[in-house]
Amino acid sequence: MDKSVHQELTTYHDPCNYARKSERTFGHGYYEEPRWVLQQCCENFVEMYPNRANNFCCGGGGGAWASPYTEERIFYGRVKAKQIKDTGAKLLIAPCHNCRDQIMKSLRKEYDFMDVEVKYLWELVADSLIIEPREE
Amino acid sequence: MEPLLLSKRERRKLASQYAELCLTCGTCAGGCPVTGVDGLDVRKVVRLAVLGLDQEIIDSKFPWVCTMCGRCEHACPMNIDLLKLLRSARAMRDRDKVPGVLHKGVEMCLKTGNNVGIPEEDFKFLLEDLGAELAEELPGFEVPVDKKGAKYLFTINSKEPFAEPEDMMFWWRILYAAGESWTVASKNWEGVNWGLFTGDDEAMKEIVGRLVQNYKELECEYLVLPE
Ligand code: SF4
Ligand code: SF4
Repeated sequence: MDKSVHQELTTYHDPCNYARKSERTFGHGYYEEPRWVLQQCCENFVEMYPNRANNFCCGGGGGAWASPYTEERIFYGRVKAKQIKDTGAKLLIAPCHNCRDQIMKSLRKEYDFMDVEVKYLWELVADSLIIEPREE
Repeated sequence: MEPLLLSKRERRKLASQYAELCLTCGTCAGGCPVTGVDGLDVRKVVRLAVLGLDQEIIDSKFPWVCTMCGRCEHACPMNIDLLKLLRSARAMRDRDKVPGVLHKGVEMCLKTGNNVGIPEEDFKFLLEDLGAELAEELPGFEVPVDKKGAKYLFTINSKEPFAEPEDMMFWWRILYAAGESWTVASKNWEGVNWGLFTGDDEAMKEIVGRLVQNYKELECEYLVLPE
């Protein structure tokens, strides 16, 4: 892993399904695992507030990203947008397809934080890897 | 407005036995970002359910603008199963009134094995093509399709082959670097299950069942839904 690829201040969005709902459904919320992975890839990490079980949904969950209620979806996302902007981070890790799309493709534009880059957790890992090419 | 005769109300279906315990404290609605949209909020939904006004909930858009994030349920001091209530309201809608493309996606998945109807040949061609592209950088890389006995069976979110195919390479890079044995199924590879969103348990079960069948037939050790 090469941490120098991601030097900017980085924050993490807890997807409802990995975090709060997983805790309720399976008895284990995946709060610390993704943070551990993230911190193998970046040096500068900041939490948004609130986080973990109390995190706010991005507003695109539960099918909202694919639903016709666009205005309501964007309105919902105002809380998430504020949380992200308040951290001052320039990179946001969103390890769920829905959350990533809602934040990257919609909220950034609607709430004016196009300067924040959004990546999947596995994208962050893939971009940090130092890969040794295998012999054929 | 017609008075509602509580003695004549229809049998409640949406309210669980727990809904009666609601204190009307509003903690649930207080922490919900869509409180007030459509004139409703989750606390009011519980009230409607307790009064047996199921149809008002089912016909409202609230259960659909709610993202089923679970924040209300997490905070409820009476531990009321609010998510079940909201999702059941979705389930009780006529299927042709499910908003947007969600139900069409479910039907498409049942019919073709993925939400957007990508034919098997196109899918295999895409994987081969993208695999060859990545192999220029990572010698020897290819996408193993239907490889029996692979350790990991990966599902795929259909939006990627459909619209953002290069994003599949993030995982591929990781798997290459780790030297792992993995595979993708040529049929029923959809990792997204919209039955969860539309309240359609039967479709959900069928779609999950197909994944498990792939996993068994390909004799894999782990089934990975990578998101
Ligand atoms: S938090 Fe629970 S008890 Fe309070 S109003 Fe909501 S459902 Fe009722
Ligand atoms: S699950 Fe729905 S009602 Fe409950 S807090 Fe989330 S969006 Fe609001």
